Amino acid sequence: MRQRNQTVWRLAALATALVLTLGACDSTAGDATSTTGAVEVTTTTATQPADETTTTEETPVEEATVTYWHTMSEPEAAQLDAVIAAFEGANPGITVEPTRYAYDDFKAALTTSIAGGEGPDTARLDIIWVPEFAELGALLPLDGELASFDETASSVFPGPLATNLWDGSYYGLPQNTNTQVLLWNRDMFEAAGITEPPATLEEFATTACALSDSDAGTYGYGMGGTYFWAPAPIFYSSGGAVVDEGITTATGYVNGPESVAAFELLTGLYNDGCLSPSILGGGVGTAEGHATGAYATIIDGPWMVDIYRNDFPDFEVNFAPIPAEPDGTTSSVVGGENVVVFADTDQKDAALAWTEFLLSEESQRLLAEVGVVPTLSGLAGDPALPEYFEVFMAQLETAQARVPHPRWGDMDTAINEAFQRMLQGTQTPQEALDQAAEEINALLQ
Amino acid sequence: MTQTPADPVLHSGRDRQALTTSNRTESLGRPEPPGPPRGRRRAGVAWLFLLPGVALFAVFVLGPMIYSFRISLYDWNLVTPDRSEWLGFANYARALGDPTFQRAVVNTIAYTAVTVPAQMILGTALAVLLNKAIRGRAVYRVLYYLPVVTPWVIVALLFKFLFVGQGGFVNHILRNVLGVVDHDILWLADPLLIFAPIMALGIWKGLGWTAVIVLAGLQIIPAELEDAAKVDGAGPWQRFRFVTLPLLRPTLVFLFVVLVVGGLNAYVSNLLITDGGQPFGQTHFVLTLMYQETFTRLDFGYGAAISYLLTALVFMISVVQLRLLRRRVDL
Amino acid sequence: MSSRLRHRADKTATHLILAVGALVVILPFLFMASTSLKSRTQVLEYPPRLLPTAPNLDNYVEVIRAEQFGVYFVNSLIVAVAATGLTLLVSTLLAYGFARFEFRWKEPVFYGLLLGMMIPPVMLIIPQFLVARNLGLLNSLLGLIVVYVTMNLALQTFLLRGFFEDIPRELEEAAVIDGAAPGTILWRIIIPLSRPGLAVVAIFTFLYAWDEFPWAHVAIQETSKRTLPIAIALFHGQYSTQWGLVFAASIIALLPVVVVFVFFQRYFIRGVSTSGIKG
Repeated sequence: MRQRNQTVWRLAALATALVLTLGACDSTAGDATSTTGAVEVTTTTATQPADETTTTEETPVEEATVTYWHTMSEPEAAQLDAVIAAFEGANPGITVEPTRYAYDDFKAALTTSIAGGEGPDTARLDIIWVPEFAELGALLPLDGELASFDETASSVFPGPLATNLWDGSYYGLPQNTNTQVLLWNRDMFEAAGITEPPATLEEFATTACALSDSDAGTYGYGMGGTYFWAPAPIFYSSGGAVVDEGITTATGYVNGPESVAAFELLTGLYNDGCLSPSILGGGVGTAEGHATGAYATIIDGPWMVDIYRNDFPDFEVNFAPIPAEPDGTTSSVVGGENVVVFADTDQKDAALAWTEFLLSEESQRLLAEVGVVPTLSGLAGDPALPEYFEVFMAQLETAQARVPHPRWGDMDTAINEAFQRMLQGTQTPQEALDQAAEEINALLQ
Repeated sequence: MTQTPADPVLHSGRDRQALTTSNRTESLGRPEPPGPPRGRRRAGVAWLFLLPGVALFAVFVLGPMIYSFRISLYDWNLVTPDRSEWLGFANYARALGDPTFQRAVVNTIAYTAVTVPAQMILGTALAVLLNKAIRGRAVYRVLYYLPVVTPWVIVALLFKFLFVGQGGFVNHILRNVLGVVDHDILWLADPLLIFAPIMALGIWKGLGWTAVIVLAGLQIIPAELEDAAKVDGAGPWQRFRFVTLPLLRPTLVFLFVVLVVGGLNAYVSNLLITDGGQPFGQTHFVLTLMYQETFTRLDFGYGAAISYLLTALVFMISVVQLRLLRRRVDL
Repeated sequence: MSSRLRHRADKTATHLILAVGALVVILPFLFMASTSLKSRTQVLEYPPRLLPTAPNLDNYVEVIRAEQFGVYFVNSLIVAVAATGLTLLVSTLLAYGFARFEFRWKEPVFYGLLLGMMIPPVMLIIPQFLVARNLGLLNSLLGLIVVYVTMNLALQTFLLRGFFEDIPRELEEAAVIDGAAPGTILWRIIIPLSRPGLAVVAIFTFLYAWDEFPWAHVAIQETSKRTLPIAIALFHGQYSTQWGLVFAASIIALLPVVVVFVFFQRYFIRGVSTSGIKG
């Protein structure tokens, strides 16, 4: 009997020790209540804070914490602290709590948290996700909630703004934007006797072939893959469109003459050995290839400046607008991120105030310092901004958004696979795009 | 103390001996200790041991499993679940009829069929070698364990990098060092060849894991048995086959079941190397397809259905394995 | 060949095979290590160089200095150690219950446990999130620990049950005759004889808890409570990844796991378990 008691006591002691350790560790690591728990302390409808017992009836101080999730890079996140400081200074009583996520896993974390009722108040989302989340009913329609919406909307570039439109309402505001332009390797060009980057699509094709030597492994043009983002600039610059303006059908649009012409251009370059075969996977990346002389031109975004500065500091990067139609109309594709407010937030006013601030000139300028292209059209050509912004912001005036639709991901896949089929030769561009049109129409039902 | 077990076939030879001993003891007429009948007290004590584990399991696994199953029967609305549309088993039917899903099942089974035997054979051989009393044994053990310890995400991207077509490391070796091929193989662009890095990665990572478990299993085998066999003139292979292997059997059965479960559930390596089933969605594993459906396309009901179909497959295969291999083996 | 010569040849052959095999096996790892010592411009060189031209520890310094890396490291340590201890406790109890007791529903419960092992954990994340939220376990290390123990339970119990059943019953019977209770038998007899099995449980549970990502990623929303795998994932940028930093961070992250392994692998020594069997 004594032995059993001893053992039981020992086991119990072990278990207790473990539990106590856990408890102690947990309390030193901080309060177990989540941040949203702190948020629930006050509601925005009350004008008196729940825990303050002031006798004087002065301006009531509203204690609110707004959570903001984002996927900014580390330098951008560091600058974000300055933006938050500025906001908090101007709005005493509101604290902004940012959480940084890695891009690849962000969507999973976001959706799980929303499903669990523990989502953030605001977040910076990839523009492609906004219609998706809006359709689910997760987002607040900002045009209905934000008093200053119309004013803000007219001050940003139209392309980025359009990415927030779904079902007649705007579910976010463009926080930062980017687009793709042409990067050309000056050394490779001059070695072939060309001093200027191609201005028209025709010139682009001939230049690409002039600079290609597939035996040596050099190509006039390199693309990162067949996902729509890659051919999109040439596609839009050629006058192509995926669907009609009302987003009702793709027939006659994605397989229309201009769209087909764009893809015929690219497929032709591939077949003639002017476009690197790495487009179908497993080759030198576009960034390294461009800097090391494998690809004379690539089409990419403003983040290349940072990448080259760190990985290839000796390489001089040159930007040029996307080659245009013969009549001079150029275009490109819009990328970037939108700031959204979630429908189940209980800090609505504070969240809206924070959103508004992110669209202010002050915030946009601060973030521009770390290479984030602003969405305020008024800042185009501003001398305080980094020099290389100029070509991007000019391009943004004509750049187009991809289809703002919850099923965009599948549409992207349809075009992606069509492009692969063209390159592999199993279908002509027209045939491949006809099939894509059918697939996209099915998604628009 | 030992009761007559419900199924005597289940116990190993050593326990058979023990049984006879206990029978002998019982027949000596030892008085039963006072208290409630042995059967009920036994069960009560048993549940005391079982309770913490079972409780945790019920709360964090069983409950969620049922919830997941429920999700799979709806077109699940993430934000307002009440608005979810009832689909019955439509999600399941959809999956079974989907060529992408079917291809994913084939891919997953092929992957398991290749990597599991490779890990078991190589892992056991490795464990035998690591068990020998040679100098520096601990160092070798650590070295072979390193792949196990490195996170999947890191090594998947690393292997992807090594298998890059133009100018990749593997191509460099094959082409320039070994001279086996004369042009760069585009591993990552081909829907079949892309499985080479994925399988290599699976085997590479599982080798040390398997070896550790077999190593632990080898410790139970008394050295005297092997020495006796050696004295009897048995060669190393014979000793392995007739002494080591039979006594390793429970460990190997355990490994076989667990490795198959792991193989069928593989997904991180595939997700990162194929970028989500590229090209044309032909290179999916069942779980990468599920991940894509759930977290990229936000079709939670469908994703849940896919994972339940996988679970059913895994369960069926495991039951078959255990049934076939369980005779005279403890589990 | 004389026995001694054969013995030495055997040892040499063993060394040779192990050495060559080890080299092949750790080659990717060597690549990782060498990249971690390279400065950023050298990472993308072609052909890839195994030995960096000017190796330096800059990456490691940057990683350690990175915001809150130390905090993440400590969080992971707390979680992994606690999860390992608790798992050892709970799975030992469970395995012993299955190995030595007979009761109704024993096999169905065991198969139910196995079923839990077969479920893709990824599928359970959302409902587990809900359960954790209802129990107030979100944003806490305890929440991580509890889930890790549960998810790992089936595998470790399955493993230990095999080890426990291998122990001959004569030893326990002798103890029972002496009037020992099940708890004492467990503590004094079973556990010492199962050291290799327990060592495996410890090694793998620590590894699992240390490296786990999907659950830690969604269950912890406060930056100060995050664990190491999340920190390493954050070195992956949206447009480019700083491989030198990622690999340096990964190698730093490897160290505790290797230490745990080195410590526990000593139990993989034959002879400890055979002491009570003879006779």
